[in-house]
Amino acid sequence: MGDRENFEVDRDRDRVNYSTSMASDWRFGVGNFANSMVDSYVTNFWDHPNSQNLGFCDINGGSSNMNVIGKDGFGYGRGSHDHRTLEMGWSHASSVLKGDNNAFLPNGPAMLPQSLSQFPSDSGFIERAARLSCFGAGNSVDMVNSFGIPQSMNLYARIGGTMQGTGDALLGHGLRSAALGGQSHKSDPNVVEDAKDDKEMTLQDDKRSENLAVSHDEGKQALGGSANESDRAESSGRDDSPMLECTSGEPSNKGLSSKKRKRIGLDADKDKVDGSPEQPGAAVKDNSGSRQQKEEQQPAPSTKGSGKNAKQGSQASDSPKEEYIHVRARRGQATNSHSLAERVRREKISERMKFLQDLVPGCSKVTGKAVMLDEIINYVQSLQRQVEFLSMKLATVNPRMDFNIEGLLAKEILQQRAGTSSAHGFPPELSMAFPPLHPSRPGLIHSTLPSMANSSDILRRTLQPNLAHLSGGFKDPNQLPEVWDDELHNVVQMTFPTSAPPSCQDLDGSAPSGQTKTEP
Amino acid sequence: MRNQRSVKQEFLRKWITGLRRYSCDEKKNMSFLERKKAIKLSADIAMASTRDKTTRWSQALIANASSSGDTLTGSSKNNSSRSRKKMLMMRRRRPKVKSAKKEMSASCIAKRLVQKRTRKLKNLLPGGESIDEGCLVEETLDYIESLRAQIEVMRYLVTASQLIINPYP
Repeated sequence: MGDRENFEVDRDRDRVNYSTSMASDWRFGVGNFANSMVDSYVTNFWDHPNSQNLGFCDINGGSSNMNVIGKDGFGYGRGSHDHRTLEMGWSHASSVLKGDNNAFLPNGPAMLPQSLSQFPSDSGFIERAARLSCFGAGNSVDMVNSFGIPQSMNLYARIGGTMQGTGDALLGHGLRSAALGGQSHKSDPNVVEDAKDDKEMTLQDDKRSENLAVSHDEGKQALGGSANESDRAESSGRDDSPMLECTSGEPSNKGLSSKKRKRIGLDADKDKVDGSPEQPGAAVKDNSGSRQQKEEQQPAPSTKGSGKNAKQGSQASDSPKEEYIHVRARRGQATNSHSLAERVRREKISERMKFLQDLVPGCSKVTGKAVMLDEIINYVQSLQRQVEFLSMKLATVNPRMDFNIEGLLAKEILQQRAGTSSAHGFPPELSMAFPPLHPSRPGLIHSTLPSMANSSDILRRTLQPNLAHLSGGFKDPNQLPEVWDDELHNVVQMTFPTSAPPSCQDLDGSAPSGQTKTEP
Repeated sequence: MRNQRSVKQEFLRKWITGLRRYSCDEKKNMSFLERKKAIKLSADIAMASTRDKTTRWSQALIANASSSGDTLTGSSKNNSSRSRKKMLMMRRRRPKVKSAKKEMSASCIAKRLVQKRTRKLKNLLPGGESIDEGCLVEETLDYIESLRAQIEVMRYLVTASQLIINPYP
């Protein structure tokens, strides 16, 4: 969209405002950020009054979209699970946004033609603009971040760089926010293969990354991504044509990871942001801030290396960007393959840590890698100790190592009251496992299945053979299905909760009778 | 992620098979500790085999069990030892960059903390020492899930066994 392009175009000028407003306001919410954005950019506003509103509303919409998507399922950016679904995610996002900001969204697409016409005909640029136009409002969040007035052709180069940067950032973001590890695997090759294509692919990366940023449950990440994008655009905005046409697998990957890193840095609250990733990210932010203050369009590495970026990796990465445009590393980030691959790897790891958070109880409020690792270690240790303890208990309970399974289960059924034991989760699984295993008593099994409601009959039938074996240890696999008939009874109890009390009573009532029958 | 029910079923099936091998061997009266070890071992192996060697920890578990001369592992021994060697050779591909100077910056401290804990976690995991950090989290996830399923099945058996002993409390 033309608005987006404009936003991206004049990053240099607005970088100060942008970074400061971002730093101070972003954490307080997207609304504040939107306000600050509007304030800082009002002077630089392009001659599209609507575009500002669009950006603003897009921010709101984007943030709301992000919130909406964030609440979905895992709380990750669902809409941006992988590249292939990014467009779909975007359409979802846009539909959500339209629900939120009906008044403003329709302006977006309509804005594009006007904005497009205002730009000189740069084929690659327009192509990218056209592509960007199909983005949702979420993308505009990133765009708005880099809001600025177009000043020269140089800006177009930056836009191109920005687009790629956005794509990388969002791609990395997508990697990070991918709900499943498999998706992240997918996205890695996608990044590579996309980068290898022409600018079209970088544009796609941008699209995807923007979608990812939008759909992330925390708007900060999108903002961070856009900040990264602006940084990258600026750093890579030296040559127009190379910038517009640069792509390669690794550089985009690097840029992607560098964006991710910056995003991590910006998200101070993110649980997976540890001290170490935070530091570089914060330093990156400072770096960008300092850069903006200098208003350098081509900051030299030395300037970046000035004290604020002490914690950064190699900062002499800007000069290579001039001729090596496709290296989309963030400013102040090392662009060698190792560090960028490291960043990708770290993103993957933080993704998986999110899963662990859900798995380990009491980890949801923990922030920071070290603390979470602590919790995980404690949990694994406690689980292992439980296994030891339970095996000890089993050894004491079974002095002869004869595991009379059917007897055990029959007893448990007898003793079990409705809604009591831990076996509730267990029996249906076991009942499903064993009847197919041992067809020895098919009649019994089949008879129990249709007569699920006839709990007392089932119980009597299953108890009789089981009780016969209680005295001796059993080694006969054929007897297992009988046990699971008991479990079927439990299944009945569980599947028909309303009838559970009566079935339970049947159990109690019939159990003694069954026993008296078989044990005269 | 995985179907917990089927995992538990499979685990119980394999575990009972393994236990039966012990109980068939009725000649020797196993001591309490022996019994406990046998129970735990068969449970661990059963749990690891449910993963069908798709995860490193399961391979390592079976390898360890087979190397300690367990009778239950049997044919899986060769495969597991081979994979174990492979795992050992896949040492840390990424050498940790140790800063020479004593930087007391927060990031270094944090990094060191994380490294310490990662090492601890690796020691906890069977076969975890030679695991790449990227896969460490995945393996831990899988291992935690398996442990939970294993514990539930074992707890169930314990309560059932106890109920047999004390039928009507």
